[in-house]
Amino acid sequence: MSTYSKVAGQLARKFFKLSLVDGVVSPERVAGILEYMEIHRPANPVMVLRAYHRLIAIELARSAAVVEHAGPITDAILQRIAAALTTKYKRPVKAVAKSNPALLAGLRIHLGDDVYEASAAGQLAALAESVR
Amino acid sequence: MSSPLLFLAAAAAPASGGLGETITKISNDFGLNIPSLLAQIINFVIVAGLLWWFAFKPILATIGERQTKIDSGLKYADEMKAKLDAAQQSIEAQFKEAQLKSQQIVADSQKAAKDLADKQQQEAVERANAIIGKAQAAIELEKTKMLAEARTEVARLVVATTQKVLAKELSELERARFNEAATRELTNV
Repeated sequence: MSTYSKVAGQLARKFFKLSLVDGVVSPERVAGILEYMEIHRPANPVMVLRAYHRLIAIELARSAAVVEHAGPITDAILQRIAAALTTKYKRPVKAVAKSNPALLAGLRIHLGDDVYEASAAGQLAALAESVR
Repeated sequence: MSSPLLFLAAAAAPASGGLGETITKISNDFGLNIPSLLAQIINFVIVAGLLWWFAFKPILATIGERQTKIDSGLKYADEMKAKLDAAQQSIEAQFKEAQLKSQQIVADSQKAAKDLADKQQQEAVERANAIIGKAQAAIELEKTKMLAEARTEVARLVVATTQKVLAKELSELERARFNEAATRELTNV
């Protein structure tokens, strides 16, 4: 890693910490930081922006659980899932619904690199794997 | 000048006549010439001595030498005959010994050939058994593999069929109930 990218990474991490409000990425803070960077351009602005974007994307992925579902799903279910994940990960987590008919029935939750599944397709796959 | 015969004749003559006369008379009657007779006798002796010394003696020596050679040749022939007999006996003994040895060699060779054939037969049987064992193991493995593949294929077909059936037959209400149950399961993790 060169000295320029190291300095850019450190600056991006500082901007990222300033973008959080109570552990959650704040769109207002992000907009303010971008305006600041536009006025006071740092050295190697492209590298800084890329590192900052990567940190923000990782944080959003960690704080947004994608709930794949087959069949109807209610807001109450999403809220219950968000509450459970918030408790489990000890940080605010939002639940975003995403339809996936391949599941047949049930849910599959993606949060960062973690996957939780309780679906008919998953159970059938487990059944087929156990028979092998 | 007088021979023994003339002396004998003179001795046997009558006493009335003289000895000389008698001898002369006899010589005249028989036609003898005393000096000639003496010369012949001397010649005869000389010739006989010469013949004895120069003819008979060398001939006798040659004959004796030939006899010695003949005796030695006969003796040599007898020795050779004895040696020939001994050699023939030795050859016969060697021939018998060779026959015995050849018979022994043939017997040993037959035994070795039989042992080799038995060994090869045993090895062939062992190889055949090993091949059969490997073939049986391969068949068993193939059977197990086929059963596993069949089981996997059946499971895949069952799962695929079930997926299709569930995709078609599940109602929205049933999906909603399943989602609710899944939510309970996931939020209790």
